[in-house]
Amino acid sequence: MKFDPRRALELLREGSGSSTAEFRAGQEEAINHIVDGRGRLLVVQKTGWGKSFVYFIATKLLRESGAGPALLVSPLLALMRNQIAAAERMGVRAATINSDNQDEWAEIEKRVANNEVDILLISPERLANERFREEVLSSVGAQISLLVVDEAHCISDWGHDFRPHYRLVERIVRALPANLRLLATTATANSRVLEDLHEVLGPDLEVSVGELSRDSLTLQTIRLPNQTERLAWLADRLDELEGHGIIYTLTVRDAYQVADWLKSRGFAVEAYTGDSGDLRESLENALLNNQVKALVATTALGMGYDKPDLAFVIHYQTPGSVVAYYQQVGRAGRALESAYGVLLSGAEEGDINDWFIGSAFPSMHEVSEVINALEDEKNGLSLYEILSRVNISMGRVQKTIQLLSLESPAPLVKQGSKWQLTASKLSSEFWDRAERLTSLRREEQQQMQDYVDIPFGQHMAFLVKALDGDTSVVLPPKLPELETTARVDTIMAAEEFLDRVNVPIKSRKKWPMGGLPNSSLKGTIAAQHQANDGRALCHWGGAGWGSLVQDGKYRDGHFSDDLVEACVRLIKNWNPDPAPTWVTAVPSLNHPALVPEFANRLASALGLPFHPVVTQTTERPEQKTMENSSFQAGNIHGSVAISTASVPPGPVFLVDDMVDSGWTMTITAWLLRSSGSGPVWPLALASAGSGQ
Amino acid sequence: MTKELTANTKATLLLTGPLISGRDARAQDLLTPGEFKRLERRLDELSSEPADLVSSDATNLIRECDDVVSSDRLEQLLGRSFLLGPVIESWQARSLWVTDRSDPLYPKALSSKLGDDAPALLYGCGDRGLLETGGLAVVGSRNADADAMAFAEHVGSQAASAGITLVSGGARGIDQTAMLGAANSGGNVVGVLGDGLQGAAINRDNREGLMQGTLCLVSPYDPNAGFNVGNAMQRNKVIYALAQAGLVISTDLGKGGTWSGAKEQLDRFHFGPVFVRDMPGGSPGLDALRTKGALLWPNPETSEEFKQVFDQRAPVDTSPKSSRLTLF
Repeated sequence: MKFDPRRALELLREGSGSSTAEFRAGQEEAINHIVDGRGRLLVVQKTGWGKSFVYFIATKLLRESGAGPALLVSPLLALMRNQIAAAERMGVRAATINSDNQDEWAEIEKRVANNEVDILLISPERLANERFREEVLSSVGAQISLLVVDEAHCISDWGHDFRPHYRLVERIVRALPANLRLLATTATANSRVLEDLHEVLGPDLEVSVGELSRDSLTLQTIRLPNQTERLAWLADRLDELEGHGIIYTLTVRDAYQVADWLKSRGFAVEAYTGDSGDLRESLENALLNNQVKALVATTALGMGYDKPDLAFVIHYQTPGSVVAYYQQVGRAGRALESAYGVLLSGAEEGDINDWFIGSAFPSMHEVSEVINALEDEKNGLSLYEILSRVNISMGRVQKTIQLLSLESPAPLVKQGSKWQLTASKLSSEFWDRAERLTSLRREEQQQMQDYVDIPFGQHMAFLVKALDGDTSVVLPPKLPELETTARVDTIMAAEEFLDRVNVPIKSRKKWPMGGLPNSSLKGTIAAQHQANDGRALCHWGGAGWGSLVQDGKYRDGHFSDDLVEACVRLIKNWNPDPAPTWVTAVPSLNHPALVPEFANRLASALGLPFHPVVTQTTERPEQKTMENSSFQAGNIHGSVAISTASVPPGPVFLVDDMVDSGWTMTITAWLLRSSGSGPVWPLALASAGSGQ
Repeated sequence: MTKELTANTKATLLLTGPLISGRDARAQDLLTPGEFKRLERRLDELSSEPADLVSSDATNLIRECDDVVSSDRLEQLLGRSFLLGPVIESWQARSLWVTDRSDPLYPKALSSKLGDDAPALLYGCGDRGLLETGGLAVVGSRNADADAMAFAEHVGSQAASAGITLVSGGARGIDQTAMLGAANSGGNVVGVLGDGLQGAAINRDNREGLMQGTLCLVSPYDPNAGFNVGNAMQRNKVIYALAQAGLVISTDLGKGGTWSGAKEQLDRFHFGPVFVRDMPGGSPGLDALRTKGALLWPNPETSEEFKQVFDQRAPVDTSPKSSRLTLF
């Protein structure tokens, strides 16, 4: 196919909406390379350079000469709305297929069949989806003229960003013959990643690499071990910083907490996490249109987000690697003279990053449990059938199954709704890779700690060097260093804020999938027997009351009066309606007095009677050793009894020290209500529910 | 097993493979075995091979083959190249492999006996080393009587004890019974399937053998292909070609896959001796095969005797001898 430079420029101008736009260095060559079909191409350019113009213009030129549509694989579809709008301006008809729009698949498939789609955008997870493969790819796949692999660094084991489904992308790419046009793009690829990409994409790969340094960014690092100091620092600085930005946290829980704190200080901020669901688009727009000062976000606000005038990116905790950090901080100052990138380092980040590293792969125990369960069942098992046989949490079972099924050859595959063993054992390479990646993550984690400690003025050079870029072009920071401490009164306010934080306990509406073991209870829990939504005073081990609860449970064997007072204040703010008229507690044979004694003191402080009507009848393993709903509910059921004669009819506070899966509360509430109590309001000292 | 496919295999898949990833195979204008053979010859004249058709610039080569297969059709078939990605990936994840006639890993018995009539592609699961071990092909009808089934199981078990690979078609009836007889006695088994390779590769009954390297399942047809009478017939010649000798345990007269497969051997291919079960009173089908030159199975009793049936230098004396008997 012949490349037409005049038409390409015309498309650039239509897409960018500027009649004087010119190609950036490398863009036109890249488009030319693809259109002429001169072999596979890898483009390494920082975000904002305009990689999307390369593939959209190439797609349009190919389509104008009669070729089939392009297929783009990207983990960031949700964030590509800006790029898609630009594509539409140049007449490129894009369609997205994802798990959220299954009802549109048939329509999109028809549009593709009618040649009405120019580029089809999918996530790598789609490629593993049986229905997508069978119903969409089988027909569309035969016409694809160009494959674009976005965020191609994920193909490499050394890519910072371990996305299991890119293993699938890698194997698909390896299986493709040279006659398919292929463009891989990424913003970050150090030498090791480049080596891997050469190996996967072939020796004849053409590579186009741009500059890494961002001259507009002023980088700074500050160690502030306590959350209170960091919260206070944010509140103080947000007053002074110009423009709008992003504050990154490592966990969903922290994103909400930081956002709540800043809101309480009068800032227009919103949390943005993987839990934001349908709100995501409006939140992104709120920041794009400067309706919020900042989004407090997890990495869910990821690589593709493009706000050219983003004035600051602040990290509340240190991310796990230089590449991740560079990608996130690099979002600031794309079209500004100057912008801040500030990294706050806190004491808890080590634990959080350790948790991410430690949970990235299934353990040998998890793998053998799942495989053994399948060995025993000739016809395979559904996810829920596996859960009823192995005492492993649903999340971990899903992760185990997912990673095993992405191996090649895979030890297990999905046949219809069931997982089935194949004729291949899991290769030892799987464990070698897990070990290699884990130690790489540790090195990356250490490298970021080194970054935290370097003096102001040297940060950009450190990042560029770590990414194997050219440090000779790095300029000194344009903005002055920010104040590194917070005001004392703000710190005190932050302390008070953390003391007031509490955690909602969602009530369960359904028995475990497949029914409560050894009982006839299944399906929906009758509404009049459900627990109400409750509250926990704090997160287990979290800031605020966390450490006091921990001391009470494991050191002192007694919860302090401060916790009674804190619960009284919590209840005052919460104000459950109908208001409880009595208090009861969840007992434990191991620590028979701990919780009832606390509940009794709380009842007196509230001026309510305490009735210990709940008893544990048989000793069971500690509930925290039960890892999924089937086991958790099964462990409680039959071990708790109610002295029915003495159950008062009014609404009741059901007190426990810890709430995790919520099954203890659910089953006890069910028993209480069946015995004639009024609505049950669960109240716990700490929630161990995963906030990750 | 996840070894990358050669460019020739990829090209052959694009030209002749249905690449089924959905439940229903779409009608595609694939090259027939004859057309592919002619295309290969043309490529050979041009000092090229199928792999060259999937290089990044194959426009001229495609044009030069226009008189054998039209450029439009070639481009349309080769333009399916993306489809190869997910399809091959899914086979490999399920421990399936695929090879083409030009691949050194393609079974030598098939290329040497069938030449360019050998299937352009062979899909499989399990240790392909078993395909190089020859062995005894056991064939028979799906609805055989109890005697025939018992005999099939016995022969399978004898083959196992004698260290002779048992080759069969994997269909229910005689095929499966003979294979099971061999597998239960710890023998090597090759199953040549006319359909459903992917399902068979996942079937738990086959898992042990596939994992131990004592079972290899192969098929000239797409792993997701459904049953097709023509395919079932075609795979018969692969069964005979992989083995050193064939044994027909039961057959209808003048109809059915077993009959036509054996007849084709005796009339045309002569890949090795064809035996028929020695049954009291005979059967019309088996008797008819004998008149075409099939030998009476000598009912070896020991492993030594069983092995002798395969010893080409000292063929077991089986009378009446056929004038058309060809040993390899």
